Amino acid sequence: MESSIKRIRGVAEAPEQAFDDEIVDLDFHVNPLEDELLAYVEDDRALDKLTTEFGATPVMGKWDAAYGIKEGQEGLFTQGRAKYAEDVREACAPLAIDEPIVNPGINNLNLQHHPVLKNAVCQAANDYMLDHFVDEGVYTAMMVPKWDPDYAVSEIDRLADEDGIVAGYSWFDPKVPWGNEQFDPVFEALVKHDLPLLLHGSLAYWPQHSYIGDDMLTWTEVLGFDWPIHAMVTVVNMIMRGVFDKYPDLSVVIQEGGHWWVPFLRYRMDEFYEMHPEDIQITPRKMESGERYLGRLPSEYLRDNVYFCTQPFALPRNAGEAENLLDLSLADEMFLYSSDWPHQTLDPPTWFYTSRAFDEETRKRILSENAKEILTI
Amino acid sequence: MAHTENFRKVAEVGDIPLGEGEGFDVGGIEIAVFNTGDEYYAISNRCSHQHAPLCKAGERKINAEDTWTDERGGVDTEACTVSCPWHLWEWDLETGEHEASGQRIGTFDCTVEDGDILVRI
Repeated sequence: MESSIKRIRGVAEAPEQAFDDEIVDLDFHVNPLEDELLAYVEDDRALDKLTTEFGATPVMGKWDAAYGIKEGQEGLFTQGRAKYAEDVREACAPLAIDEPIVNPGINNLNLQHHPVLKNAVCQAANDYMLDHFVDEGVYTAMMVPKWDPDYAVSEIDRLADEDGIVAGYSWFDPKVPWGNEQFDPVFEALVKHDLPLLLHGSLAYWPQHSYIGDDMLTWTEVLGFDWPIHAMVTVVNMIMRGVFDKYPDLSVVIQEGGHWWVPFLRYRMDEFYEMHPEDIQITPRKMESGERYLGRLPSEYLRDNVYFCTQPFALPRNAGEAENLLDLSLADEMFLYSSDWPHQTLDPPTWFYTSRAFDEETRKRILSENAKEILTI
Repeated sequence: MAHTENFRKVAEVGDIPLGEGEGFDVGGIEIAVFNTGDEYYAISNRCSHQHAPLCKAGERKINAEDTWTDERGGVDTEACTVSCPWHLWEWDLETGEHEASGQRIGTFDCTVEDGDILVRI
């Protein structure tokens, strides 16, 4: 009898079968130390100010959602902190992740104030990623500075040909949505270099000084629903403003913006558009092209051009319900596995094995194949 | 000896440091045994949320020196709970209950005799 008792050794944390499968993780954050990041800032004037203590912010700032959870802001480091390639490999080993697509996790940068200083941090982050990840053989999503489309294009042109740069990383946010025509040069550059655009959430960003934003007091509201609403608006904005008619080869990946709203969008966008499509012709891209309508139904762009990271999955416990949701969400075509390491909402690839909702094919497509269709890896 | 009937030895006192746990596969059932100082507790090794291995609670983080706390989840010896290493779900070691959700995971009788830690499945 004694022989049937074994100590559980080893590092494995994911189900055994996960280690036999190929797993690509679309959202793995690394977090350089501030001093090491600043060493990469090229502009001395920017560096001087980046090392100067700022005073109080001039406008009311929202609490970051993490204040509300057990470890507070530490939730951003629940699993630890990856600074270099070997840290990423150590973190991925127990979770059965084969190919993490790392990004510089400076997710508060987009909402900071000064565009010149932000560009300096962006340049430094991208060069840090080149040195510590791309050159070490870890696939990397380069930072795309949304606040400055010209600079975004020059960064894409500077870095996109590096082997190992496999995507652009930016944010959906409460500022100018990505359907705006000012981003056309960015889309053009991304398509030229065959890079998908990953759009991630950052901080709590219901518009400042709004009744709704001011009364969001819980982590569940802010992180659970503020982000998906902004992600949803971003996706619809891009589709209805004709981004994908102009850039049919552009792939957009929504990260941490939720994914179960895909069925809602599929049916509601088409219903509304087919009822009253008259205003499409007076959107700027259509004014320029002279077209009256979108080239296809809105849901078709959603299906072909937009992808969704799965974390946090919020998978129904009931496998039948989960399977229905996966079907309606076209998960086998549109979902991409992501872990969000090292944050408080980490999703190891467990549910793909513990829930009966996944057949072999759907699991494979979500865990690796859909990602490999849009990434050059 | 009657009161330890059907108990099986999983470890010896001293094998599991104070405030830590160790995982065991007992005839195909995964359990984690935690040392709170006063007692040893045996509980299912798998968090009901996403099947994280609870025996890893309290494991040192990668580059913990560059974060604000050292460990992924961990044992609270005073509250007699263990926090899951992935999402910090807090499990009562005596009852196996997660207070916020009302969910329960299995707990197992655990005792010490002659320096051995014994568990009954």
